[in-house]
Amino acid sequence: MLELLSLPPILKGLIVLAIAGLTFPITGVYLFRLNLLPLRFMLMHGAILGGAVALAFQINPFWTTIAINLLLVLFMAKTSRSMKADAGQISTFFMVISISLAFIFIYKFNVPAKDTLTLLWGNLFTLSWPEVIGIGFFALVLTGFQYFFRQQLRALFFDREIAFTSGIDESRLYYSVIFLTAITVALAMKLIGALLLDAILLLPPIIASFQAKSLKQMILGSALWGGAFATGGFLLSIAIDIPASSSIAALASLAFIIIYLTQKK
Amino acid sequence: MEHSLIVRSSDQIIFTSDQHWLYPLFELEDYLEQKNLTTQDLILTDKIAGKAAACLIVRLGIKQCHIELLSERAIPVFKLHGISFTYDHLVDHIQCRTEDLISDKMSIDDAWLFLRKRAGRVQGLSVKIDKLSVRIEDKLVINQLDLEMGRGEQLVIHGANGVGKTTFLRAILGLIPVSEGVIKVGDYLVGSNLWKQFRSVIGYVHQETIKNNFPISAGEVVQIGLGTTSVSKSENEYRIEVAMRRTGSFHLVNQPYLTLSGGEKQRVSLARCLCQNARVFLMDEPTSFLDPQGREDLLLLLHELSRNEAPTMILVSHEQNWTGQLDWPRKELKGGKLC
Repeated sequence: MLELLSLPPILKGLIVLAIAGLTFPITGVYLFRLNLLPLRFMLMHGAILGGAVALAFQINPFWTTIAINLLLVLFMAKTSRSMKADAGQISTFFMVISISLAFIFIYKFNVPAKDTLTLLWGNLFTLSWPEVIGIGFFALVLTGFQYFFRQQLRALFFDREIAFTSGIDESRLYYSVIFLTAITVALAMKLIGALLLDAILLLPPIIASFQAKSLKQMILGSALWGGAFATGGFLLSIAIDIPASSSIAALASLAFIIIYLTQKK
Repeated sequence: MEHSLIVRSSDQIIFTSDQHWLYPLFELEDYLEQKNLTTQDLILTDKIAGKAAACLIVRLGIKQCHIELLSERAIPVFKLHGISFTYDHLVDHIQCRTEDLISDKMSIDDAWLFLRKRAGRVQGLSVKIDKLSVRIEDKLVINQLDLEMGRGEQLVIHGANGVGKTTFLRAILGLIPVSEGVIKVGDYLVGSNLWKQFRSVIGYVHQETIKNNFPISAGEVVQIGLGTTSVSKSENEYRIEVAMRRTGSFHLVNQPYLTLSGGEKQRVSLARCLCQNARVFLMDEPTSFLDPQGREDLLLLLHELSRNEAPTMILVSHEQNWTGQLDWPRKELKGGKLC
């Protein structure tokens, strides 16, 4: 295994997964607390659209998916504000339109089916160094955001109206959270794919919530579980030769069910 | 007499003031509180005293005084409370509107509270609402409503369920857009840029629905009141402690908010408003989910708040029996108007 880890793409993959596992579950906590699960679906479908566009025009899928997701968030924010509509409903609309556009691109530009499938299970080992640095930089931004705005975020998660009346610019904070979530989903898609990204985005916060008595405990717990699943799953995948994304998802699911059943007892 | 008020202790002057009206006595109140002095042996010399000043002197606990110009209306107050007094000149009454406003029915504490409000020595801000209309989905819920409240005043608004009480509070908070009219809290026009900066002057205690399962301690809920204030950790903790002690909830500081009873949650919410330094408290059905003991506790707490910090308070409730015990002015919201 050590031999394999000395190969640059494998080592890069491990480093990136460790960073993502430790930091991306922070947005999972946001998704739960603000009940943004429909938004997550929209972003996942947006990332597929981004991948399809990138494959169709043969441009970098990493940056394209991020750009498409950010555009979707902007459209969603603008639409829900101007129409005074529920963000969940608007997210559902953008989710459907994204996937339909994605398939139109795949069909019209004859994107090979195998390439399309990489969108679903990720493409960890093709990361370039600028992409690795980009993920590292984003992880720093996300951690910094959580640290410096922890008090305001706590108020936002407790009650948006109370946060507003306490003088917090909850609207700006809310859209910042969505913005960061959009990037996280796009990055997680690249790492472990659309179908399995919940393994590092949502399962760690769910497990952490079993024990957490404060936001701090929830964030730290999520980060630790996320880090453990990402690195443990990655090493397991090398050891028994299975795809890293599947291995991470399987490990996270197994841990979840064991902890859930233990909790119930 | 060169000062308007002089206070001696064992022939030594310990306090003087050159202010006018009742302000020297309020300054003295602050001084005594700051120095933690007992008042039994103090001798007060005042230039002019009417019934209002007499009430304040009694409340300060001073037993001996000399007044240069004394109103006859002050004498029964002094006599009733065993104050030893002398004077240079006695007049029927003094030319001061405040003296006329102190009724015989008022207790010393009531008079003190009334005078504090009149002197602007309360935390509360005035609330002025002019021709307010609010529409919710094409339905006119608030219709040309007017309201004027002075600093530190209280008001109970009652009315049937669904009449628009919560909508009214939410409009004052700026949580919903108004169709017409103006809401002014102190100098802040609700919705203006200045208000956006200072909107935390209004504290909100909403209906406790117990649906929030967010893992948070009672102390952290109170901390929310600090909003975007950037203070040191120790100052942070101090403010939380002071606010929680004021509402008798400090023993709950580390307890998970979820596990608190309805009454405890209301105490914590009021502490949050105090921590926020809110000067107007809006309370929406605060007795929902409260057991009889919780209601009794809340009643005492609101009495205490109105006597000490004296924020301006608006409480909406459909429970007339409970609000009746508050002894606050009452209005009914009906047809979108207060009557």
